[in-house]
Amino acid sequence: MISQLLKTLRDGDGFEAALVLAAIGYLLVFAAFPLVYNIVMSFQEVDMFSLASFDRPFRGLDNYRDLIQRPEAWEILRNTIIFVSCSVVFQLGLGFALALFFQLDFPGAGAIRGLFLAGWVMPGLVVGAIWKWIFAGDFGVLNYALHSAGLIDKNIFWLSDPAYALAAVTIANIWLGIPFNMILLSVGLAGIPEDIYEAAELDGANRWQRFMSITVPLMGSTLGAVISLGIIFTLQQFDLVAALTQGGPANASNIAQYWSWQMSFQTYEISAGSVVATLMIAVVVVVAAIYVRSVQHEHSA
Amino acid sequence: MIKATMMGLVLAMAAVATAQAEPVTVKVWALDEPTRITETFAREFEARNPDVKIDVKLVNFANIVNDAVRAAATGTAPDITMIDNPEVALFASHNILLDLTPLLAQSKVIDRNDFYPGPIANSTWQGRIVAIPRGANTIALYYNADLFKEVGLNPDQPPRTWAELYDAARKLTDPAKHRYGLVFSAIASEEGTFQFLPWVQTAGADFDTLGSDGALRALQFWQKLVDDKVASPDVLVYRQNDATGQFAAGNAAMSISGPWELPTLQKDAHFTWRVALLPGETATSPRASALGEFANAIFKTSAHPAEAFRFLEYIYSQAARNWNEFGMLPANRSAAPQDPKWPDAYAVFVEQMKYARGRGPHPLWPQISKAIQTAIQSTLTHQSDARTALATAQASIDKILKK
Repeated sequence: MISQLLKTLRDGDGFEAALVLAAIGYLLVFAAFPLVYNIVMSFQEVDMFSLASFDRPFRGLDNYRDLIQRPEAWEILRNTIIFVSCSVVFQLGLGFALALFFQLDFPGAGAIRGLFLAGWVMPGLVVGAIWKWIFAGDFGVLNYALHSAGLIDKNIFWLSDPAYALAAVTIANIWLGIPFNMILLSVGLAGIPEDIYEAAELDGANRWQRFMSITVPLMGSTLGAVISLGIIFTLQQFDLVAALTQGGPANASNIAQYWSWQMSFQTYEISAGSVVATLMIAVVVVVAAIYVRSVQHEHSA
Repeated sequence: MIKATMMGLVLAMAAVATAQAEPVTVKVWALDEPTRITETFAREFEARNPDVKIDVKLVNFANIVNDAVRAAATGTAPDITMIDNPEVALFASHNILLDLTPLLAQSKVIDRNDFYPGPIANSTWQGRIVAIPRGANTIALYYNADLFKEVGLNPDQPPRTWAELYDAARKLTDPAKHRYGLVFSAIASEEGTFQFLPWVQTAGADFDTLGSDGALRALQFWQKLVDDKVASPDVLVYRQNDATGQFAAGNAAMSISGPWELPTLQKDAHFTWRVALLPGETATSPRASALGEFANAIFKTSAHPAEAFRFLEYIYSQAARNWNEFGMLPANRSAAPQDPKWPDAYAVFVEQMKYARGRGPHPLWPQISKAIQTAIQSTLTHQSDARTALATAQASIDKILKK
């Protein structure tokens, strides 16, 4: 009996079942449980002292109502939308441009493309500390460069002026995300057969026509995947905000994920922090669905 | 000093008496600090008390409250934990700390009347002492004496009032040399609140009267410093050590910070610097300053409260070493170091300590602090005027105080 069980486990269906069960078990414990726990907390009254038990006062939608009524809620929503959309658009645009550039295959292209990855492998906090020097109002490199170029005559206080703080964080995040976009898009570009371009060229299509009618459509599913991943990565960008502005001045550069952390771990309003996290999960689920579709499309195409 | 020697004798005798018994283990959670203060005390204590083993676990600053509360909630709390002074109330209000009042009444080592008023007030909850301040910190005005002379100010008469501070800062500001008169920290974190409250307090207000004229004058004064460019707008993102960095580099002629900066200044500042009391609003205004530092508390669940308390007594008995070895002041008056480093600065900080007031105490202090930070930042950036910003802060704080 036991030897038979061991046998199926070793060579039969049992082996596959065990693999599937292990994966499902892992997902349940490390993904589903925290997710559900977070959603549950968003409907309860939770403080740090009641974290360990499920038996807490049920508050229904009150936590959600409280959150929306906070004066900073709409500003942070607006900031988050600007941060995510600008980050994704520019990361994708510049990443695509660089990917096309390195596709030209000039001497040293591979080495230089490798160098571009340097930014991507650095921890967010380190990148944040470097950008903090660049953006510093009185002695920052960026202000010095803009001065020297004659573009400004008064220092811009990138991190402490509410008109610029969000832009500063977004610029740093765009820089951080470009290499990742570039690499994924390069892989996509490499997958387009060269002879299609040659055929189009023989038919008299110019560079722009070839780009629009060959590259873009054939890259469709890759672009979908890159955009979805870009949105997800941008929604989890935390270190840069912590290092650069801590959401300030007065929430001018605060974004949803940082706000959620502030409430959960700085002011200990754990229910409110969970509400933000739950709302963000809803957004990510939609984006992830688009991603999965893109990838499936890629496989079938 | 005599007390400390006697303490040593008592401990030695106790050690002889109990040397045969199996040692008990006291678990201590402490901040991970470069000075290794807690480990140092633990080793010394163990050498004198063979009946007790001190098991120190290091936790970093950002996590210590979260970790300690979670441990308490799940029944795995240590015997002793270190708590930042404004957060003692959070723990105490949930009734998880041991009431030390009876132990203190019998203690031959700790004299509860010897503490400065600020530290002991923040270790007290509803009339009960629930933690022992391990030391104290406060802030004062650092100034560059060379620059004072250069612009015709007398370095022996540092500014004593807001008006004098403003005038000095104005004279010391020199855009051509990329130099501001003053630097401080108005960052959106506990550090910003820590720096701001003394200004409110010398103007006769506090965190629960932010809607008053005193608080308004304090915030307007900060606003004027930034608006008139005698302080950099980047004070909004400077942490206190960033601010000191600006001062040490000569980019600001005066700086507001605490004694923890002294070693850095000694190393980095290539000019004569001195320390003065934080200016009051006027010459007759009450003096005020911020109060920092951690306190040690014993959890109610501790199986060895007597041994844990003896360790706290030992830490207290060594407070005279705080300044020279661990970069902070003692929290009690009698523990004066015999030969303090930077004696002039030491004298100023000891004087300043008399006026240091704690933040709160209130169990929801972090939320109150957040409301204050938002008021500071929205005013200094002109997203809101000072009066409106403070009224908004007061409204949020009132809601918290009513809970």
